[in-house]
Amino acid sequence: MTAERENRKSAAARIAAAGIAAAGLAVAGMPARILSTGAVHAEAAEKDTGAAAAGTATGQASGEKVTLRIANWEEYIDEGGWDEEEAIDLDDREGTVILGENSMIEDFEAWYLENYGVEVDVEYSTFGTNEDLYNQLTLGNTFDLVCPSEYMFMKLIAEDELKPLSEEFFDETKEDNYYIRGVSDYIRNIFDSNTINGAPWSRYAAGYMWGTTGIVYNPEKITEEEASHWALLTDPRYKGQVTVKDNVRDSYFAALGILNEEELLSPDFINSDDRLERIAEIMNRTDEKTVEAAEDILKQMKENAYSFESDSGKADMVTGKVLANYQWSGDAVYTLDQAEIDDYYLAYAVPEECTNVWFDGWVMLKDGIGDDARKQQAAEAFINFVSRPDNVVRNMYYIGYTSVIAGGDSDIIYAYADWCYGAEDDAEDTIEYPVGFFFSGDNGDPDYIITAEADQANRQLFAQYPPEDVLGRAVVMQYFDQENNQRINQMWVNVRCFDLTSISVADWGKMALGVIIAAAVIFVFIKRDDIFRKKSPA
Amino acid sequence: MGTFRFSRKQLCIPYALFLVCFVVLPLAVIIYYAFTDGSGRFTLENLLSFFTNGNTIGTLCYSVVIAVAVTAVCLLIAYPVAYVLARSGLKRGPVILMMFILPMWINFTLRITALKEVLTLIEGNLSLHPFLNTIIAMTYDFLPFMILPLYTTLLQLDESLLEAAADLGAGPVAVFFRVTLPLSMPGIVSGVTMTFLPAMTNYVILDMIYNSTYIMGSLIGSYFNIYDWHNGSMISLILFAGICIVSIFTGKADQSDLDNRGAVL
Repeated sequence: MTAERENRKSAAARIAAAGIAAAGLAVAGMPARILSTGAVHAEAAEKDTGAAAAGTATGQASGEKVTLRIANWEEYIDEGGWDEEEAIDLDDREGTVILGENSMIEDFEAWYLENYGVEVDVEYSTFGTNEDLYNQLTLGNTFDLVCPSEYMFMKLIAEDELKPLSEEFFDETKEDNYYIRGVSDYIRNIFDSNTINGAPWSRYAAGYMWGTTGIVYNPEKITEEEASHWALLTDPRYKGQVTVKDNVRDSYFAALGILNEEELLSPDFINSDDRLERIAEIMNRTDEKTVEAAEDILKQMKENAYSFESDSGKADMVTGKVLANYQWSGDAVYTLDQAEIDDYYLAYAVPEECTNVWFDGWVMLKDGIGDDARKQQAAEAFINFVSRPDNVVRNMYYIGYTSVIAGGDSDIIYAYADWCYGAEDDAEDTIEYPVGFFFSGDNGDPDYIITAEADQANRQLFAQYPPEDVLGRAVVMQYFDQENNQRINQMWVNVRCFDLTSISVADWGKMALGVIIAAAVIFVFIKRDDIFRKKSPA
Repeated sequence: MGTFRFSRKQLCIPYALFLVCFVVLPLAVIIYYAFTDGSGRFTLENLLSFFTNGNTIGTLCYSVVIAVAVTAVCLLIAYPVAYVLARSGLKRGPVILMMFILPMWINFTLRITALKEVLTLIEGNLSLHPFLNTIIAMTYDFLPFMILPLYTTLLQLDESLLEAAADLGAGPVAVFFRVTLPLSMPGIVSGVTMTFLPAMTNYVILDMIYNSTYIMGSLIGSYFNIYDWHNGSMISLILFAGICIVSIFTGKADQSDLDNRGAVL
């Protein structure tokens, strides 16, 4: 894996987004229209049963164009233009070769025309943060299909903004339903069992990418043991050496991990049958006492950290400015890849206490889709198209995150994981790394064991497909309702604001002295005529 | 009656439209949000909560301290430079001035990124001196805005006034403090205004230089980020009001200064 992937959220774009948000301008995020070139899909790995699928659409399809407005994270889909030498030659049953020639959007438009006989025009735009997307929606930008993180789609579900996915979308007998046929059971289970107002996520949301949160560290300076605890973020031995995520949810999660460290690590707790449920309960506490205690920890974190960052942490880690940074697994893979190019080897650890398993998922908006069945069909077809195994590989290769799709009948995705991380035949120090929990639901499945180089146990492979024991402590962080959200956000503002009480009496004295001296100088200067003239003989 | 006649007044229409669309209307929206709550009812809650919350006051103080420090440092550096460039009759004055302005042509994120590397080389770890780094970065960024107005004012200074002062027995120091400095007040005022407000609100520089403490700009941004448009608008409005008051005072000072000069002349 030496692919040079583009940075997901460029600093400039983030600044622009922040500026727009601050100014509160309604012009934010005018859809960057991507023109269809009518290009033909280059590397169809699977034969689409075009005729059958086209039949379903003939009802309404009368040659009229469908416009699909999609909003996704920046740099979060294959934009095509790969070099020939970037082609991924997979060692699977079919000998698939994958190459992103055109952008995924162009390929979708061509595929949809071919299979459904309808011309679709995708207006694709991007956002930098979940809040940015939400602000765009409240400002009146309409989208049909968007891809926020789990807490944001939970919020949108709770606010009744979303259109449920159709029943056909979940029909596993339909060849084109790549999502439901391919989604990993582990993910599917989470999407079915987490509910908002009684409705499971899966009624409204289809997963896209997922991962854990953890710590990227320099193994030469920080031991794996140290990096495996949230307390690293407040460890005074590493003052100014660690970066923390600059958003309230991630930071609050880490603070709760530190706050409840003792309980989370006690043997009784770890060995309890309902450990996962208990972690979920602890990590979703939002009562006043907990928030207050978290505030103190976050203040320590602010004093101790190199920076709160939303983008710069990866670069600072790669250039060696810091020894560790709190990171999402997808960005961790990116960081490790980048460092590797310079022969600098970093590692990724997931804290022993717990981790936050996160998802980005596709949801359809009521405002955009309305009752337009053709639009809904196109939106659902888009989800299925990006869930088609060869497209999953393209996206994963391009953006470095891990797809929720395991592949179903197709073994292309596993073959890709093996292609990325499988050790060379002559490698000496190797490990057997099971990924069956994700691909087949059975972690002992001999078909899904990657023979990888030993260091992959805490490097990219570990970050992309965490082992079973990590998932045993990986919990979903629920969205906060209005009242809790307000309290936690206020707490975060308190952490970040300048605390007047932190100034010592001595410092106040010094400042007062400074002001008095300055005032005296100015006074003398202004009144210089009155003061000095009397003394001068003239 | 009825026939359209083009007059010079009509040339103002585009600007008037611009003014309404991009200044008056947004301001009205901000005022609306500032004085309403989530359900659209009139409230003074936002105003009160700003002044009763120790954190926002702390942030205000912190921003003012940063802004004062940046402005003072800029002024101390810029004045001698502008004075030398404008008064000493350097042959290549404009070229040297260009050297100071040149950095403005490069995107500021790039400049701050470069500065970050330099500061890292000097300090070792940026997180040890966040306040100092902020002052340095902002001074670096805003210096041209201070130099330019000072240079322009000093360039227009009437040489004969200085000669007259010298003839009447004033030493070089007295000439500077009694003639040059008062006459360059307009330049100082406009330089200070152009530096002070950005220094209070430009949180992108703060973020980039890894100062984790909020200033007014970041505080406003944080409220907009959590969809609290009401408090965010209120803080913007308070800042706006503060600037208005300061401008009125400096404007007055400027005016009385001109009057004095008139008396002298």
